Amino acid sequence: MTTPDVPVVDGADIRRVIEYYYEQGWTDGLPVMPVTESYLDEFLAVTARDPDEVLMPMPHLNKNLTVRIAALNAALAGCLPEYLPVVLAAWDAFRLDGMVSRAIWQSTTGTAPFSVLYGPLRTTLGFNARGNVWGSGFRANATAGRAIRLGAINGLGLKPHVFDQATQGNPGKYSCFIAENEEDSPWPSLAADHGIAPPESAVSSTVIRSVLHIEARHTTAPEQLAREFADSFCRTGALVRANASGFVVLNPEHARLFDKHGWSKDDVRHAITEAGWRRYRDLAASGKEAVAHGTGWRLPADHPDAVTQEVPDDPDTPVQLIKSVDAVQVVVAGAPNAGVSSIVETFGPFDRPPALVKVEEK
Amino acid sequence: MADGILLERAGIPSVSVCTTAFKITADAMARNLGFPGYQYVTLQHPIASRTEKEIDELVRDALADILRVLGAGLTFREAR
Repeated sequence: MTTPDVPVVDGADIRRVIEYYYEQGWTDGLPVMPVTESYLDEFLAVTARDPDEVLMPMPHLNKNLTVRIAALNAALAGCLPEYLPVVLAAWDAFRLDGMVSRAIWQSTTGTAPFSVLYGPLRTTLGFNARGNVWGSGFRANATAGRAIRLGAINGLGLKPHVFDQATQGNPGKYSCFIAENEEDSPWPSLAADHGIAPPESAVSSTVIRSVLHIEARHTTAPEQLAREFADSFCRTGALVRANASGFVVLNPEHARLFDKHGWSKDDVRHAITEAGWRRYRDLAASGKEAVAHGTGWRLPADHPDAVTQEVPDDPDTPVQLIKSVDAVQVVVAGAPNAGVSSIVETFGPFDRPPALVKVEEK
Repeated sequence: MADGILLERAGIPSVSVCTTAFKITADAMARNLGFPGYQYVTLQHPIASRTEKEIDELVRDALADILRVLGAGLTFREAR
């Protein structure tokens, strides 16, 4: 019998290092990869960017997330060095998005980082865009997403129970990094829609509150399918602010259904936007028919903070909750094997394109 | 908390107020901004689910403490 060709190391030493990292509080609860100075150098070697460049300034916390800190946390997360440009682009997109620097990760809402990769690097680096796209099982997705979360914990100091004050958080906080299934989509990618097309790759990032499962295997009518998404967008439980917004992550089967009927991606977005309303009666039943002075959050009309508004004579009067097509972004991902899609609930953007950044390859 | 500390540093007397649920974070922010032991006032959590009257009472109970932290020898006397 031959011995398999496996590295010979002292397992106790490795465990000691891993336990040391736990003791320092440098993990998300799962073990992290041991990182040496020379291993960190391998990461920094794949980017032309200055290790001291600040990716995410957080002056109120006295913290700056630099390229070096992002690389260190990518290594801890289990990324391969060649993933680093994608991780850096994800951070760039978070900065462009603006929610993280406005301290959203200190908020009780408990949002997770959400990034999407577009373009040829999906294939080169092995990002999964097909079946089980929300995970788990794929190193590139799992570790690139985790690199962001570990960067937040270790680089920005956003530790749970301290500066991360999430009431419950959400499961996406461990890792939430998908890729668009451009091969099975009838349309150009979201990045290509915004001018970043192959051979370039791009990343979009924003913060998310949940990933809603949309089970729609029942219809071949694009109008019904669009209503299905609009209904979930407008659930009252999601309405902390006045309006709804999110990403529709369409599986290729749903995307092809729309395409077969001659609908473009923008047609889908417009249809969902137009159907994005609830009756005044429905909002009032949940006590979310008015908005507050200052915060603009939804609350009952008789609340002392409520902005005075006219109560419609007809309680069935529609209240538009999706105000603009910019609040509805569409990405195609998943396997073309069933009518199962999802909605990613975001905090906007409501009136501008999503935060998209080109991946800078060395 | 950060605003209160920055205002104090700018020479403007100020008081940070938070509820008991945020005490750990408040202390961490004070340490983070180099002001360990920074005094602030805590109110009993929660706020959002209280009535206006209950909040008035909560603030009335905290007023003496708020004036103490504000300093300048101000004291609280119940209006007649």
